Amino acid sequence: MPKITKASLGRFLAKQGILIAFILFMVGFTLANERFLAPENVMGVIRSSAILGVMALGVTFVVISGNLDLSVGSMMSFSTIVVLDLHDKLGPTLAIPAMFAMTLCLGAIIGFLVGYLKLNSLIVTLGMLSAIHGLTLTYSGGKNMDIADKEGTWFSVFGQGELLGVPVPILLFVGLAAFLGIVLSKTPFGRKIYAVGGNGVAATFSGIRRPRVVLGCYLVSAFCVATAGLLQASRSLGSQNTVGQGLELEVLAAVILGGASLLGGSGTIFKTVIGVLILGFIQNGLLLVGLQFYAQYVVTWVIIILAVWLDIAAKRGKLLSPIA
Amino acid sequence: MTRFTLVATTAVAALAFAGAATAESFKIGITQNNVGVDSYQTTYEKAFIAAAEANADVEAVVLDAGGDVARQIAQMEDLIQQEVDAIIIWPTNGEAVIPAVRKAHKAGIPVIVTNSNIAEAGFPFVKSFSGPDNITQGSRSAEIMCDKFKAMGIENEAKVAHITGQPGYTTAIERAKGFEDRLPEVCPNVTVLDTQPGDWNREKSQKVMEAFLVKYDDIDGVYAGDDNMGVGALNAAKAAGREGIIFVGATNFAVGYEAMERGEYWGSIYQSPVDDAEAALKTALDVLNGMDVPFLNYFDTPKITQDNQSNFTKPVF
Repeated sequence: MPKITKASLGRFLAKQGILIAFILFMVGFTLANERFLAPENVMGVIRSSAILGVMALGVTFVVISGNLDLSVGSMMSFSTIVVLDLHDKLGPTLAIPAMFAMTLCLGAIIGFLVGYLKLNSLIVTLGMLSAIHGLTLTYSGGKNMDIADKEGTWFSVFGQGELLGVPVPILLFVGLAAFLGIVLSKTPFGRKIYAVGGNGVAATFSGIRRPRVVLGCYLVSAFCVATAGLLQASRSLGSQNTVGQGLELEVLAAVILGGASLLGGSGTIFKTVIGVLILGFIQNGLLLVGLQFYAQYVVTWVIIILAVWLDIAAKRGKLLSPIA
Repeated sequence: MTRFTLVATTAVAALAFAGAATAESFKIGITQNNVGVDSYQTTYEKAFIAAAEANADVEAVVLDAGGDVARQIAQMEDLIQQEVDAIIIWPTNGEAVIPAVRKAHKAGIPVIVTNSNIAEAGFPFVKSFSGPDNITQGSRSAEIMCDKFKAMGIENEAKVAHITGQPGYTTAIERAKGFEDRLPEVCPNVTVLDTQPGDWNREKSQKVMEAFLVKYDDIDGVYAGDDNMGVGALNAAKAAGREGIIFVGATNFAVGYEAMERGEYWGSIYQSPVDDAEAALKTALDVLNGMDVPFLNYFDTPKITQDNQSNFTKPVF
């Protein structure tokens, strides 16, 4: 067993700043309310974080490649509404692949615009945010979408089912995270994403087909959004058109909280998962503490800033530093 | 298109009646918030057109701002130019439309606000507000819940959790106030455990309810600011296997109505877009006929529970 020196411990901590912040918050909330760590609460939080989490996995790919995706919130509303509508028209077995295909088409459009036409991803996805919202409203005519026979469908298994005592959304989230984590860190495609995000020009000159990599990232993101839409639809078996509204910023917050750089080239799936869990547990913890809700917005922000600071401080090796 | 066809048909009707008509004919313009964004507003427009067509004395100019403040202001100016007899406005924004409303007022055209009121600064330029009374809706929800507790014999120990609409929104604030003020009057021994926002969102409400269920072992009733959130809370309770909780909402949605049919959801407030539209037209006509119309001219939004829901048609939204 290697000897733990101060230096090696420091190097370890520097990598795990966000994890330290996470543990600190968990301890804090547990002291405030002993039910915080009750197994059913922890399961509940992870289960309801799964929707945000699955979306964050895809956005991590996009962010590492040096782009942004602000369309995931309204795209998730789209997937949710479409799968609910098709459920009653085609039955679940056909509705799910049809919805995935439609969502992937949207991802392909964005990937084409950003990757092949080299348009700014902020503008493209901001535009898609409202375009897809309009598409969803046109599709549904503005109506809330509900499954007619809520008791007699197996469709609810994705959002409400359990396997060996673990809720299915958690299994899907963890499974997808593990798979995408391996793709990102162990495959040539994953390495190309880091290369493109780190230095796009250099990547192009070294023979990487940058447009194709960017398109791939947006397809991964769209696939994750479709999965999130499936979880959402299955969890409540009905939805309004605005169900994903605003989620794009929460997703981005989780990804950045996890330490991915907005400039591209860095970030990992594992840390994004931690970022997602921090957001989920903050929301839940503040509810359990029973803080007045206008104050919760402020406290949420304070905690996020604190986490980011701890992360950076760990990397620097001290709390305050004259240089970044 | 509806605008032109409607003007055409009412014009034909007006011609047909021209010889015989002795009553005064009124040209009434309406600029709506955003038809097509939800079923409530879509149904409202249909009902308004139907009500206008049914009345031979009314020629309606039906416009829709598509949620755009600038377009709504332009439409107000169009209506002033057309010298309509009265303007009904469903504000896209309670503040931004005030100058346009004042312009109509200065031109001598009475303005009626429908569904959601404009900001208080604009009140001097408005003849009447026709819409739902959200404070009354909140207090009626409190009464529904209290009556049910009394029927169950738990009015002295029941505990209630409260899920509100989006913080900062007038409807959310008024309903919450109506509920919180009325509950202690009718059921003084019922305690409100906690109040948190569900943001008019079923998923958010479900999350909030999950946290409530962890935090409180004993919850007898849940009041949600609308049925969408109420059903979200119901889903959380069902998933956690907690039974016997009395759910009361407001703005009866189809999902709430169905949950009531299944016996899982106790009651709500019935707010019909048809009543809303007809009330707006009637208010405008009453103003034009020189009748005394109260400034806040609310239309009735009755209580609906499992007991009397068969008297109401299922909401379309």
